[in-house]
Amino acid sequence: MKYFFLFFLRILIITLLLLVVLDLVYTKVYLKSSNRGKIDYVYNSQAQQYDVVVLGSSRANNHFVAPLFEEKGLKTFNYGMSGGHLFEASLLLKLMVERQYTIKNVILEADLNLSNEQMADGIASKFLPYIHNSKTIEKHFSSQKDFNQLFYIPFYRYVDFETRIGFREMFFNCIHKRTVHLDNLGYYPLGKNPNANMKNDLTNLKPLHNKYYEEIKQICKANNINLIVVMTPMCTNTKGLDYFEKVRQFYPEIHNYENAVEGDQYFSSCGHMNDRGARKFTAIIIKDFFNK
Amino acid sequence: MFFNSLSFALFLPAVFLLYWFVFNKTKSTQNLILILASYYFYSCWDWRFLFLLVFSTFLDYYTGIRIEKAKTETARKFWFWLSIAVNLGFLGIFKYYNFFAASFSELVNGFGLQTSPLLLNVILPVGISFYTFHGLSYVIDIYLKRIKAEYNFIDYSLFVSYFPLLVAGPIERATHLLPQVKVKRSFDFEKAKEGIYQIIWGLVKKVVIADTCATYANAIFDNYESMNSLSLLLGTVYFAFQIYGDFSGYSDMALGMSKLFGLDLLRNFNYPYFSRDIAEFWRRWHISLSTWFRDYLYIPLGGSSGGMAMKIRNTFVIFLVSGFWHGANWTFIAWGFINALYFLPLLLLKKNRSNMETVSLYWNWSSLKVILSMISTFALTCLAWIFFRAKSIGEAFDYIGRIFTNQSFLPQYLENERYSYEIILLIIAFILVEWNSRTQTEPISGRYSWVKVTLCIMAIIALGTYSDYKEFIYFQF
Repeated sequence: MKYFFLFFLRILIITLLLLVVLDLVYTKVYLKSSNRGKIDYVYNSQAQQYDVVVLGSSRANNHFVAPLFEEKGLKTFNYGMSGGHLFEASLLLKLMVERQYTIKNVILEADLNLSNEQMADGIASKFLPYIHNSKTIEKHFSSQKDFNQLFYIPFYRYVDFETRIGFREMFFNCIHKRTVHLDNLGYYPLGKNPNANMKNDLTNLKPLHNKYYEEIKQICKANNINLIVVMTPMCTNTKGLDYFEKVRQFYPEIHNYENAVEGDQYFSSCGHMNDRGARKFTAIIIKDFFNK
Repeated sequence: MFFNSLSFALFLPAVFLLYWFVFNKTKSTQNLILILASYYFYSCWDWRFLFLLVFSTFLDYYTGIRIEKAKTETARKFWFWLSIAVNLGFLGIFKYYNFFAASFSELVNGFGLQTSPLLLNVILPVGISFYTFHGLSYVIDIYLKRIKAEYNFIDYSLFVSYFPLLVAGPIERATHLLPQVKVKRSFDFEKAKEGIYQIIWGLVKKVVIADTCATYANAIFDNYESMNSLSLLLGTVYFAFQIYGDFSGYSDMALGMSKLFGLDLLRNFNYPYFSRDIAEFWRRWHISLSTWFRDYLYIPLGGSSGGMAMKIRNTFVIFLVSGFWHGANWTFIAWGFINALYFLPLLLLKKNRSNMETVSLYWNWSSLKVILSMISTFALTCLAWIFFRAKSIGEAFDYIGRIFTNQSFLPQYLENERYSYEIILLIIAFILVEWNSRTQTEPISGRYSWVKVTLCIMAIIALGTYSDYKEFIYFQF
């Protein structure tokens, strides 16, 4: 039995060593990555200057045509992330400030995403490779219930979010395989989708006094960034549109552009405008807020 | 509680320590702790079905004794058929009743009579097909006077409910496991080491091969209407490796952990995808089930002792029953039927026992023939797996039809944001490892075992699929 315990102990030690070594290797690879997505791009960047930075979910990513801002002389990047919540938008802004970005305006899409304070696993996991290298990220995640496992168990985060930051993603980082996330200054245009569901029901959504929205407001205030918060359009057949009114009651400073673009010909799905709709919408935003 | 879960990673060492350090005094105490652990393990699935398991165990235990003690042939037959009827009755109610009711209703509706089937709202008790077959083989063996009845209820319960084999086999025989349970086990370091290697390799098969293949196979099968020929072909290959990795991985883990308790279980897989014909495949795939059907169905039906017609009939019977054993769906029956069809030419040409020796390859033409026969057997197997995986027979035919009609062999981007070809290298690497270790039970033992263990653990950690957790496929049977 003694030999068995020694044998088993060796296996445990090998496993532990592998966890540590793999953690170091993966983290090293991600620390050199800057062309796979917006998070690694910001994390591994130097100070930048922007007139406009767009933040939010896919309803920011697909709705604000960054090149149109550029055409008007406004240096812009769309940092909206499909599937993201305000948890990630807030952290991304913190990282930009930490890297001494000079930002004049932040356009934040805050509408449906105000209804929850959860992190979006698929997006938030992209910050996790840097959790030991950034106090900002560590602090931001510290309130999460699995923080201890994510932070203290070597390689746990790469196993837990294996589809996002696991071997496959690490390998693509290694070979510098590009994605489309950084094309078009971060804006991702949607086309026509013949199978799209052109209905939505928001009746069960309730806006919250969102902690991360409050954080974004504070960061902007502290860094003299002009914060423009907008709600973006939904398709015609949407139930429970009074949600947008409820948001306005919570946060009167949020501009309601829900009905700025009407007609399903401008939509790719009920919550996402196509490129045509996005261009129309962006033109309105540029005119209203930048007078151009 | 799955073998590859954290809770099981705590459960197994706890049972191991209790077994060897607290309950190690006699074989009865050893068996008692294993029984308690097994019942706890089973109750983690659904405690209500524990009563069914205990009842089934008691039924076969009691009828076994009554058969042996019966003074008349009528009494012997009575107790025998009572056990068979109750065992198959449970299986019928829980697993097949709804299928028969729905099929009957459909048949009647086909004649223009409107009926709606009276369906039962029951869930299938996990492992019922496996422990029922344990009990059946025991009772049949006593009835045929191959073995003596077991009078110690704890020992018999352990044979039926032993947790490594409880929910997905291998299907043990009383002649093999009961004698081991009847003696006190002593710790054997070499056996335990082998067991650990087998558990590690089983985990590689499950989390690295099966679950990774499942990610791709599911994306292809669930959206097969929009897939091109290449993706559809890859989908079948991925599913073939998914089901092999999943089930043989489970079996390896079961065999491995059983070795930790000093008990040997029947080998269930012997590198089936290196088979040179379908007969060989069935000697290497789910061996404990194939031999069960051979011994308790094929041979009692007359086996190959009659003429060719009887051989063919019996072959079709066991393949159809085997298909039906897997699940109450026409797709499984079709899968069994297809395998019987594959078997037919071998029977007619009397070549069903021609590839008995371990396959070897050399640099000559006959080896090329061997390679081609392995590839063609694998292709036939994949074709049958489509029926196993599809939701209906119509869907299976549609899937196959699209392979031939689509005619596009370009890489395709799947719904899960991956290209269909991405894991081909992983599968090739797995095949090479299996090929090199085809004379062993697992590839880790032998020279450089520490290097191989390290590589396997690294593969489990780095290449395993964890976020999209997949149950063992055979748990549903």
